[in-house]
Amino acid sequence: MEESLSQEARAQQASAGPQLPGPFAVGRYARKLQEEMRKRARVQLIGEVTGVSRSKVQAYFELRDGEGAVPCAIWLTDLEKAGLGDGALRDGAEVVICGGPDYYPGGGQASPSFSFRATHVRLAGEGDLIARLEALRKQLRAEGLFELQKQLARPLLPKTIGVVTAERGAARRDLCAGLERRGWGGSVVWAFAPVQDRHAAPVIGRALQDLAARPEVEAIVVTRGGGSLADLWAFCDETLCRTVAMLRVPVVSAVGHERDSTLIDDVAAVACSTPTHAAEAAVPLDCLAARGSLERCAVALRRAGEGAVEARSRHLGALARGPARALQRQRSDLNQKIREIRAASERGLADRTSFQRRIGTVVLERARRRALGADMEQQREGLKRAAVALRAHEPERTLERGYALVEDEGGEPLTSAAEAGAAERISLRFSDGRVRAKPERDEA
Amino acid sequence: MDASEPNQSATKPDSYEAAVERLEEIIDRLDSGQAGLRETLDLCKEGKELVNYCAAELDEVGEGLKELNLDDLAARLDSSGAGAETP
Repeated sequence: MEESLSQEARAQQASAGPQLPGPFAVGRYARKLQEEMRKRARVQLIGEVTGVSRSKVQAYFELRDGEGAVPCAIWLTDLEKAGLGDGALRDGAEVVICGGPDYYPGGGQASPSFSFRATHVRLAGEGDLIARLEALRKQLRAEGLFELQKQLARPLLPKTIGVVTAERGAARRDLCAGLERRGWGGSVVWAFAPVQDRHAAPVIGRALQDLAARPEVEAIVVTRGGGSLADLWAFCDETLCRTVAMLRVPVVSAVGHERDSTLIDDVAAVACSTPTHAAEAAVPLDCLAARGSLERCAVALRRAGEGAVEARSRHLGALARGPARALQRQRSDLNQKIREIRAASERGLADRTSFQRRIGTVVLERARRRALGADMEQQREGLKRAAVALRAHEPERTLERGYALVEDEGGEPLTSAAEAGAAERISLRFSDGRVRAKPERDEA
Repeated sequence: MDASEPNQSATKPDSYEAAVERLEEIIDRLDSGQAGLRETLDLCKEGKELVNYCAAELDEVGEGLKELNLDDLAARLDSSGAGAETP
């Protein structure tokens, strides 16, 4: 589009040619051009030196950055005054030059040329680079380029990662060690690139694009060891950083030993301070720990499954035994009651027997007593009758009828005439009293 | 997905992190003790499949670093492309 427009403008100018001033003599025009150029303001430029060459009196070089370049020339006398030392003005050096545009009109033999006439040159300091970096940072942030990578999903367990680094750098070894420490043994696609100087940024950018184009690559690490900001300047390259921001694959940057020192740290999905940390960011899952965790999950699941069945089996078993247990309980209760009833009945029988025995005893006693009372009456009657009979035979009854009883002095009855005749004294007992007598003996 | 609704279809997880997330939901649900027998058995089955999936994923990156060179891969791709064009 631009090209077609400029062609159109040129065509218009060509068609308007006869109306323009001139023609002028070219030599005069060249000198006028030189004058105009030298009127331009003197400024400072910063950039990387390339294509250094020298004549007897001047040094020539280009000063360039990612956006463009300017041919420069400096008198050797001015260069010596700068005091840079031998070889300081070399390809790749970041320098600040002071001066302004100039035009050499050429001559009969010499070719004309444009150049930035430097009157002073110095190596770019940290401050110069930081100022450039901040300007770029502000610009890219304003364009929203810092957020694009951070919105990408980073896989927890990538199987393939890409790495852009120097082939022989320590960062490569540290990254591998970091990955192995996590127990990760996937595929690493190496894209080796220079990591310092003017040529590094384009190569790194191409490597990143090539890696991102491979479908199996799930994350990319860009890493290099430490250095000054000038050493790391390739990672502040605007084109490179714009490339990173637009990649579909998350990029982990580990450039230098400090985070956020380079512009690539700002646009990357994650910025790390060391290759080891980059390994952890590229493979967020600690595979060794994950294996242990998975084992525990498997055990928990097995226990949950078996436990659920076993607990319910036990519950079912308990429920199944319920009726039998209830019956057994009822049977036990019943037996207990039977035992209690039997004991109670035995106790009741004994009590009743004892009671009846006591009653019987009382009745019998009463009967005995009754029976014993009747016999006494009979005996009493008999006795009375015997007493009457006895009384009828008592000597007193005989005495009452007029008979007398002969007794000795001792009261013993004398029942014969011989006993009476032999006694010294006798006693005659009548019913109404005694009479003492002395028997008389016949002398015959 | 609600952990109380077992994944009956048992489809393959989208990623390791999706599998782990679902596995954690399942363990939480089982630990709560609120799942019935059928749900518990379904969750255990689904969880076992997820564990197997995760173990297989870990096995894939468990055999030591395999180092490839981008230039070699590109050269291989070019040669295979050139071979394909050869009649």
